[in-house]
Amino acid sequence: MNRRSKDFKWLALVLCVVLAALALASCGGGSSDGGSAAGAEAASGEGGGGSADAAGGGEIKVGVLFSTSGALTITEEPAKNAALMAIEEINAAGGVNGKTLVPVYEDYGSDPALAVDKIKKLIMEDEVVATVGLYTSASRIACRPVLEENDGLLFYPTFYEGEDPSPNIVYTGACPNQQGDLFVPWLVENVGPKFFLLGTDTVYMQLINSQAKELLAANGGEVVAEEYVPSGHSDFATIINKINETKPDVIYLNLNGDSAVAFYKAYKQYGLDSSVMPTASFCSDENTFGALGPEISAGHMISINYFNTIDTPENQKFVEDYAAAYGSDSVLQSVAEASYKSVYLLKYALEEIGDGEVTPESIRAALADVEIDAPGGAVKVDSDNYHLYLKARIGKVNADGLLETVYESEELIKPEPV
Amino acid sequence: MLVLQQLVNGVSSSALLFVVSIGIVIIMGHMKVVNLAHGECIMLGAYISYYMGTVLKVPFVLTLPIAFALCGLFGVAIERIVIRKLYGKEGETLLVTYGISLFLQQAVNLLCGSDLKYVKLPMEGIVRVGGIVIPHYNIFTILVAVIVGLMTLALLYRTRFGMRMRATTGNRQITECLGINTALVDTVTFGYGVALAGLAGAVLAPIKGVSPFMGIQYLTDAFMNVVVGGLSSLFGTTLSSALIGESRNILGGYINEVNASMIVFLIVIVVIRIRPEGLFSRQRR
Repeated sequence: MNRRSKDFKWLALVLCVVLAALALASCGGGSSDGGSAAGAEAASGEGGGGSADAAGGGEIKVGVLFSTSGALTITEEPAKNAALMAIEEINAAGGVNGKTLVPVYEDYGSDPALAVDKIKKLIMEDEVVATVGLYTSASRIACRPVLEENDGLLFYPTFYEGEDPSPNIVYTGACPNQQGDLFVPWLVENVGPKFFLLGTDTVYMQLINSQAKELLAANGGEVVAEEYVPSGHSDFATIINKINETKPDVIYLNLNGDSAVAFYKAYKQYGLDSSVMPTASFCSDENTFGALGPEISAGHMISINYFNTIDTPENQKFVEDYAAAYGSDSVLQSVAEASYKSVYLLKYALEEIGDGEVTPESIRAALADVEIDAPGGAVKVDSDNYHLYLKARIGKVNADGLLETVYESEELIKPEPV
Repeated sequence: MLVLQQLVNGVSSSALLFVVSIGIVIIMGHMKVVNLAHGECIMLGAYISYYMGTVLKVPFVLTLPIAFALCGLFGVAIERIVIRKLYGKEGETLLVTYGISLFLQQAVNLLCGSDLKYVKLPMEGIVRVGGIVIPHYNIFTILVAVIVGLMTLALLYRTRFGMRMRATTGNRQITECLGINTALVDTVTFGYGVALAGLAGAVLAPIKGVSPFMGIQYLTDAFMNVVVGGLSSLFGTTLSSALIGESRNILGGYINEVNASMIVFLIVIVVIRIRPEGLFSRQRR
C-alpha cells in the first residue's frame, strides 16, 4: 500500500512538471496560441449573448475550421492564423457595417470525420454566417453533404482537383488548369521535353499527372516514366535509380509533404543535379523548401498562384504583418493567402448584403463577378462556378533558398473545374 | 545494372529497417510489452539529433550516443512510472503505449512546432563502383546496423546482465527466487529498447524530415519486420530485414512502388500463415 501511494506521488509529481512545462511552452509561443484563445473567447462569449443573431446583435460570427493538431498542422496552422488576422484587421478598421466579426475557431485534428462534427457544430450551434476552412480533399468531400443539408457556406482555400463543385462552397484556391496549363508548356520550352512523372498514389496526384500527359502530348513533350509511391513513402533509392536510367529533363514531382522532403534529400544524397534535371511541383511550398535549406532546394521549381516572396507592396505588408503577429517560424504559403482573402471576400459580401438576409445564396449572389485585391494581386470571382480567376506563377528556388518568380501570367486565368 | 544497383540499395534499406526494428525485438520479444510508442521514441531521437546537431552544433557522430542515452533515460522513466504496472497484460500495454504515443506527438508539436526540422546530411559524398552509386551515408547506416547488432548480441550473450535478462524472459518466478532483482532488469531492458529507438531516430534524421508525426510510418514496418523474424530472435530480425528490404527494392525496380509494397505485404502474410511464430523463433524447439 505504502509503495503504491509512493508511486502515485511520483506519477502526480511528473504530471505536474509536464503540465507546467506545456503551459510555459504555450505561453512562450503565445503568438501561435493567440488564435485558439480568440476561439475560446468567442465560445465563452456565446453563453451570454446566445440570442444575438447575426443581423441584430452587433456581432457576426464567422467559423474558422482548420487543424492545429495532427499531421496537417504544418499547412493548416498558417491558414488559421491568416484567417484570424484578416478578421482582426477588419474589426480594427470598424468591422462590417458597424458590426464586429467574431471568429469561432474549431480544430478538426487532421481528421475528416471530426471535421464533419465540427462543421455541424459551427452551422447548427454557433450559427456562423460562413466558415473559412478545411485543407484536404478528403475533409471537404466529407463535409459537403452537411453543408448542403444544413445550408451552410464554406470558403475552401486549397488548390485542389477541381472536380467537386457545390453551391455551398466558394473555392478560393487554384484549379489544376490554373497551375498546370502554363507550367507544362513553359517547362517543355525552357527546361526540356522529357518528363518523369512522380506522385503519391492519390486521386489528386493521378489527376495532375494525367493532365500533364495531355499537355505534354499537345506541346511536343514526352513522358519517360510514370511512377507512384504509397502515402508516407520515404525510401526513394529505387525511384532515383529509375530516374538515372531514364534521364529525364524534368522530374514532375507531386508528392505529399513528408514524402517530398525525403525525396529532395535522396535526390541530393545520390548526387543528382538540379541544374541538369530539376523537379517541378504543384505541391511543395515555402514550408518544404524552408525546412530543407538552400543547399538541397536550390534550383527546384514550383507552380502555384501565390509565393510569399512576391515583390509587391501589398504582399510585403501582408508578410510583415503576419510575421509580427505570429512570428517568423510560421511560414506563409498559398493556402494561408487564400484563407486570408476568403475572409475579405466574405466581408465584401456582407457589406453588399447590408441589412438584408444573410444566407449562402445571398452571399454568393453578392460575390458574383466581384474583383478584390489580395496580397497576391487582384482576383475575381467566377460566377459560373464560384472559383477564383487567379494568376499562374512559376517559382524557382534561388541560392538563398527563396522562391523567385521566373514566370507570371499576364492575365488572370479562368478557373476550369471539371 | 538495374538489378545490381537495386541490390545495393536494398542492403542499406535493410540496414535501416534493422536499426528501426531492433528496439521492438528487445521490448516486445523480451518483455512482452507491445510498445506502440516506438515510433515516437524514434521521433524523440530524431529531435534530439536536430537540437544537438543543428542548434547546438554538436558533431553528428556524437549526436548518436547522445540520442541513445537521453532516450534510454526517457525509457527508464516511462518504465518506472507506467509500464511496470502492466507486465503480463499485453492488451493494456497496447492501450497505454498508444496513449503515450499520442501524448508525445502533441507535446512535441506544442513545444517544437509542427514544421519539419532539417538535419544536414553529415557526409555528402558518393562512391562509384562501376556504374553503381553508393552514398557515403548509406555505408554509414550499414555500419551502424552492424555495430548495433553486435552490441546487442554482446549484451545479451556475453554479459551477466544479458544472462539475467534472458532468465527473466524465460521464467520470471524462478529468476526472482534466485535472488535476482527482476524489476531492475525490466527497467534496464525497457530503457535499452527505447534507447535503440532513439538511436534509430538520430540515424534517420539526416535523410528524412523531422516532424512530430514522423514516427507512425516506421511503426508498421518495424512491427511487421519483427513478427516475420520471430519476436525475440535477433538473427530472425536480421534476416527478415534483409528479406523485406531487398524484396521491396528489387520488386520496386521493375514494377511500381505501390504494387511492390503490396507484394511484400502479401509475402509477409504468407510467411506468417505458414510460420505464425515467425521465421526464426526459438519457441518452436
